[in-house]
Amino acid sequence: MELKAFTSAVDDWLDEHARELACSFEGIGTLDEQMAQLRKVMRLTYDAGFMRMGWPERVGGLGGSSLLRAYLGEALTTRDLVEPGIYSMPEVLAPTMIDYAPAELAADMVPRLLRGDEIWCQGFSEPGTGSNLASLSCRATRDGDAWRINGQKVWTSLAQYAQRCVLLTRTGTQESAHKGITALFVDMDSAGITVRPIETMHGAREFCEVFFDNVLVPGERVLGEVDHGWAIAMDLLPYERSTALWHRASYLQRRLAQLVALAPAGTLDPTAVGEATELLWAFRARSRATQRRLAAGETLGAETSVDKVLVATAEQAVFDLVAAGLGAEVVLGDDPVSQRWRAEYLYSRAASIYGGSAEIQRNIIARRLLDLGADR
Amino acid sequence: MERAERALFESGVRHATETAVGAALDTALDDLGWADALEADRATAVSVLFECLGTAHATSGALDRLLAATLGAGAGLASDGVAVVLPPLRHCEAPGRLDGDWCVVEGLGTAGFDRCATALVVAQTPDGAAMFAIDLGLLTRRPVQGLDPALGLSEVMGEFETAWAAEPEPVDWGAAAGQGQLALSSELVGAGRAMLELARAHALERVQFDRPIAGFQAVRHRLAESLVAIEAAAALLDAAWEDPSPVNAAMAKAFAGRSTRSVARHCQQVLAGIGFTTEHPLHLFIRRTMVLDQLLGAGSALTRQLGADIVGSGTLPPAFPL
Repeated sequence: MELKAFTSAVDDWLDEHARELACSFEGIGTLDEQMAQLRKVMRLTYDAGFMRMGWPERVGGLGGSSLLRAYLGEALTTRDLVEPGIYSMPEVLAPTMIDYAPAELAADMVPRLLRGDEIWCQGFSEPGTGSNLASLSCRATRDGDAWRINGQKVWTSLAQYAQRCVLLTRTGTQESAHKGITALFVDMDSAGITVRPIETMHGAREFCEVFFDNVLVPGERVLGEVDHGWAIAMDLLPYERSTALWHRASYLQRRLAQLVALAPAGTLDPTAVGEATELLWAFRARSRATQRRLAAGETLGAETSVDKVLVATAEQAVFDLVAAGLGAEVVLGDDPVSQRWRAEYLYSRAASIYGGSAEIQRNIIARRLLDLGADR
Repeated sequence: MERAERALFESGVRHATETAVGAALDTALDDLGWADALEADRATAVSVLFECLGTAHATSGALDRLLAATLGAGAGLASDGVAVVLPPLRHCEAPGRLDGDWCVVEGLGTAGFDRCATALVVAQTPDGAAMFAIDLGLLTRRPVQGLDPALGLSEVMGEFETAWAAEPEPVDWGAAAGQGQLALSSELVGAGRAMLELARAHALERVQFDRPIAGFQAVRHRLAESLVAIEAAAALLDAAWEDPSPVNAAMAKAFAGRSTRSVARHCQQVLAGIGFTTEHPLHLFIRRTMVLDQLLGAGSALTRQLGADIVGSGTLPPAFPL
């Protein structure tokens, strides 16, 4: 199906089913409520066929361009039906499974993710491994045909809701760095896994610590090849900076539109509004070009770090305006809508930290795009 | 243009801008068929040429020819015969004003102005804009040195009785100014790329504390920041060509200007002492981009106007669809 036909089909269907799809809560809701809403919307859009568009048939998709996925996320976030951060996680996890999981496993699992039946998480960061991902130390050792995992992950989004985890483990020596990492697909109900949610500044418990104490994972759950997990991480990160960022652009545009409609007279500086709008439009233009390259079958790489720097800068510029234009709501408001403005303002402060910090993105740009050589 | 055709066109245009300036460059562009490309694929013709002009620090009569073509006067005039009076610095309204039977002109001319026999003057009218084709001798010109003498601008002034001119034609000045803004945006992006390449080459060559300064994160991040600014401006510009509305053109121009100011700041800091001398070419690009930022609407004023329109109406301009 072409983008244009898909766009109008999605819009018509969303209008027709607006009542079924609507949020059952006002404002931000609890994380439980958000997750229930996410599952409902994914289930309905999957059953209507839209969620399957743009995914390959061998994992239950209906084929077609990845632009269709970009538009579906845009339509859902623009109507405030889903929170873009949690909605976009399959954009990162499903391509990994499609590219690296054994075919039967991918065919079995990916539809569960797209249909909202399951939530998956991504076990990458550790207490001692933030920006320097290749130093991770959560260990997997062979135990017969299986792998035995001991260690800890942190910043694992939605681990308390997740049925599965794409986990990076150390299988080589600690010194092997990026050459001794293996990716495993782990069932979160395995014995020995403990999840502890962390309360963040914006009032959610979205990020978790995950502890692995002698957790056994079957050998057929290796993604890609043993000791070659770094390639998976590197392939996955550009996905995190493509379709998911288009969804985020739609969300930021929605919030900026709401802000300029709601802000009391005299609270917004025209120059600041003009600058934030230009920046957001430039980010959208950049991200659209990235969507088109992805749809044309190009392999995305380090150039997506430019998109990531732009989204963080644009998000913080938009929410700086929110703090100025809706200061009363952000600072004093206790109603659900004010709470959402406050939470989203606070969350925007992390935009330059999560998913590879602003500094790491600039390091990648310097090394890979400007060819400035090693930095030490 | 097809990809291969575009690559060939681009390498021809690049070579021309690197080896010729002024009248010689205009002749070289004629030989390359730039005017035909302008009719057949305007976005490519304009963005390729003006980015090369920015990178090569070259001047040509191309802006006049683009504006003349957009105003509908391109076909009737020889390539060496078209001068278009630009608005005064910082402004983007039409440079002429009707006063009874007279048209009062106050604006700028590009480097090619003196080579032309005919000047196109667009004047604001109660219901839009009208274009007069007049003899160049009716206008007085004062060559401008200013910050960037190499750009060859002149201040253009004069008044003429409208009866002397050929019958005025109603024209869409806003559309022409928008195309000019897109062209200048490309030139800013090209100049930004040139500054980044100068700073990058310096960072790799300059050794302090026993290593190239490109190894220091403070330097690397300034260069990375510059690339982000350039690529963002280039992306916004490409998107604006798909829908060259006045608001999109103004946004592209303002953002290209702001991005280039940031690139200039970072690159001059990386180049440090040598970048502050006239022994290094950086200053040429800093001068050029500061002037371009103020032609056909100053970037800061366009941004403030965009913001004021948004705040005043409570709505955003239309966004680019996927």
